[in-house]
Formats: sequence, structure tokens, C-alpha cells
Amino acid sequence: MAAMGPGYRDWRPADVGATAVGVAERDALGTTARVVVWPPNWTGRVLAAVDAELALLDKQASRFRDDSEISRLHRALTLPADIGEAPLRRSGIVSEGLAEAISVALAAAEWTGGLVDPTVGGALIGLGYDRDFAALPQGQAREAAPPGPGYVPGWQSVRLDGRRLRLAAGVRLDLGATAKGLGSDRAARAAADCAPGGGVLVSLGGDIAVAGEAPLGGWPVLVSDEADQHGREPAVHGARQVYAPEEPPGQLVRLAAGALATSSVRCRQWQRGGRTLHHIVDPRTGLPAAGPWRMVSVAAANCAEANAAATAAIVAGEQAAGWLTAQGLPARLGARDGSVCLLSGWPAAVGGLVTVPATARMPAAPSGRRDGTGRPPEDFSRPARPDRVR
Amino acid sequence: MEHDYPEQPGWVRLPGYEEDPRYPHGADYPGDYRRGAGARVSGVRRVRQASNWTAALLIAGVAAATGYFAHHAPPAAPATSGVTSVPGGTAATGAHKPSLSGPVATTSGSGVTVRTGPGGTRIVSYRDN
Repeated sequence: MAAMGPGYRDWRPADVGATAVGVAERDALGTTARVVVWPPNWTGRVLAAVDAELALLDKQASRFRDDSEISRLHRALTLPADIGEAPLRRSGIVSEGLAEAISVALAAAEWTGGLVDPTVGGALIGLGYDRDFAALPQGQAREAAPPGPGYVPGWQSVRLDGRRLRLAAGVRLDLGATAKGLGSDRAARAAADCAPGGGVLVSLGGDIAVAGEAPLGGWPVLVSDEADQHGREPAVHGARQVYAPEEPPGQLVRLAAGALATSSVRCRQWQRGGRTLHHIVDPRTGLPAAGPWRMVSVAAANCAEANAAATAAIVAGEQAAGWLTAQGLPARLGARDGSVCLLSGWPAAVGGLVTVPATARMPAAPSGRRDGTGRPPEDFSRPARPDRVR
Repeated sequence: MEHDYPEQPGWVRLPGYEEDPRYPHGADYPGDYRRGAGARVSGVRRVRQASNWTAALLIAGVAAATGYFAHHAPPAAPATSGVTSVPGGTAATGAHKPSLSGPVATTSGSGVTVRTGPGGTRIVSYRDN
């Protein structure tokens, strides 16, 4: 691949067996970011643009960074959870970037009927997911007691009016169902501006957005299945799938526009009280989703929507196929028993083109709910001062 | 010379208008002057008409050329195979779309990444994401 030049030491070149594209990876946002660029000559400036977007999102929306805007906001706006009717406590002004991230999360919640909900942060912490996943102790029980249902106040308890945010007491936001997708969207847009006439693919932990001109036939992407816990490879309902012996189980598809995201209950797992827990919380129960799907891949016009739809499908369980079909979103659902279900024109053939809807299904923002408060809002978009942290 | 404009009230002809300096106002003009004046006037008329036609043809020509190029502009990026190396800092105009066979990215719940190792071996690594 093309030399990345000084300043991009965090990025590692990745060899995919093609010299026509530049490929680089780095750790970011608690996962792996991958950028693919053509022509490869643009790689250096594209990586710089992606770096800027990722750094911005991390500073705005990471709940694992003590100095992030959302962490400062939590400290200032929320009080310890008091179960029941929680009154709105305080309001604050957030940065445009965080306002967009929260707005997208609320729009996803409204669009999915609450199946994805940004107020599951408290429940996740209660379940033990209280730090960056890499820092969680693996393979051993952190707590002897089995987890109980976490408190999920509900997305309606969050009010956003422009940059003005109000939170109910005890609300802890977790934007995990949409933030990585939004980050991929932002980074892909910024990267495409740096590669005029070419094309880019940005993947944040498998949440993929493409922009600019796609390669001939589209970007080849592996939708990777894992063998189930019994070592069985997936079978496909109504379609034949062929795996090369050296390939991991999965399906090669091509993406010419839009985005592709996958949610899975087989990743970000930890043990507690003798139970294996995962990071996708069902807002209705406050516990990890327990439906029939172990991983769902969805293609959509943008990655935030694909990300939200994939997570919603995991939570929706038996109703997922109907909901995704009604939305007209191509999807590939892998069941816990190893079977695979293809929906809404998802290609059955290996190497098939995923035809992404031209327009977004998810509203860009939640339907407006204005509110008022007599107290002057605090501005959280500025760096914290020690005396303001409480 | 013929009048270019209708006579207007208050207009005053400049001295010597339509007069040959050799024959001041009131003198008898020889007959060949009258013939010469007529030839000059008709010549000027022909030149003026020719200029008008030339201008009209130029305008029509420019308009036709503009229309032609507007509808037959060459494509910015001709579609051919292969990849053109584009120097850094210039637009990729004319670059050709690559054709990729193997996966360049992976979407998976477990963060599976695939890369090509030494000797073309495919290395699959798993990471929680």
C-alpha cells in the first residue's frame, strides 16, 4: 500500500492481496478501525481525515473516557438512579457533534419502537460493562451474584432541543447502538472529500460505510459467521452457500453504496454469577437480549441506520424478520442454531451485490418535542473546569 | 454621404460636411466628383453590410459551438480497466476503478479480520468489538 507518511504511526498497513487500494487499520473507539482507499495515493490524507473524525467522536460520546463530553454531562446532569417517576433535573448545552449523536440515538429509539434505547447505560453498568471492553476481566466471574434486571428509564426521559439537553435523574446514556455507525458515516464522508474521483470504505468494528466511487462491482466485504458453540457451521434457508475450506464461515458480498453493519450476541461477552452476559440489552427487561439470533447484518442507506436496525433485530427476536421486511432493509440473520435467514433482497449468491435502499428509513432526528426550563443551561461543549465537575 | 440618423432639431452639421475641400460651399463641382461620391457611398454601404453579416455569422457560430460542446463534452473519467497512479495532491480524474476479488473488510460480531500473510496465506484473526 502507499506510504502513509509521518503522523500516521497509529495506523498499520493491512495486506488484502490487492495493490489497487490502500488499506490501514488502527485501534479506535475500543475496537478496530479499518480504512480502504482507492486510488491508494490518497491514503495518507484520508487517514488524517478519519483520525480527526474518530478523535472528535471519542471525545464527545465515549462513556469510557472520564474527560469525554458525555461523561462530564453525566456527572453534572444526573443523580443516582431513583426508580420510578424520575423528574427532569437539569439541562445543559452540548456540542453540535454530541447533539447529533444523541439525536440519532433518539431517532433510532423512536424508529425501532424503543428496541434500541440510549438509556440502557445504567443497566449495562449494573451488568458489569462499566469500562472499556478490553479492560474487562475475561474468562472469570467478576461477581458471584447473578445479575438482576437493570434500570432503563426509557428514551422518552431524554429531551433534546437543538443543543439543549435535559436528562432525568439516574439516566446514563449509552450510544453504542448508533455511535459507531455514525462514526463510520462521518469518517467516510470526510474521507471521500479527501479522495476526489476515488472511493473509500470505513469500518469501525465491522460497521461499514462507503463513500465516493466504489470499485468495479462494489466493495467486497466478508460477512463472517462464527461457528456456533457446538462447532456447527451455518446453513442457509432457501439458498445455497459455498465456503472455501480455508475461508472462515460466512458470505462474501459486495457493497457499492450506503452501509453495512452487524450486531452480535457472541461478542463482548463476560461472565457474572455463572452466566454469560453480552452487551446488547433488551430495554424491556434490562437484561441481555435473549432472542433466537446470534448475529444480524443489515444494509442501509447509512451506517447509523444499519447499526440501529441490526441491534433492534437482535432485541426483537421472533419479530425481527417481519420488522426488517417491513422496512425493506436487506438483512442476513444468523440464528443460535446455526441457520441463516436472508431478507429483503439480501443476495443468496456468494459475491452478490447488496442492493441498499436509496433513501434512509430512519428519520434523521426524533419527532420534535420541545420543552422549557427556567434554569439557565450549562454548556458542556466546553472543556470541563475542575470546579464544575461534581 | 447618406445620413446615418434622422435630422434632429438643434443639430448642426460640421463644416465641410458632404463637401469636397477642393470645392468650397457654392463652387461648381465637376461631374466626376459626383460619381466618386456615389461610388464611395455605395462602397461604405457594402462594407457596413458585410460587417453586419460577419458579426451575425460569428454570433451564430459561437452559439452553435457552445451548444455542440455542451452536449458532446468528453467524460471526466473514461471507464477503462486498471488503476492509474495519481500523484498526490491532484484529483483522481481519469483514474480507473479497481476490480477487487477478495474481501477488503469484514463485518462480524466478533471483529473478524482477514489479511493476506506471507506466501499468500490468508490470516484470519478474531477480536471482540
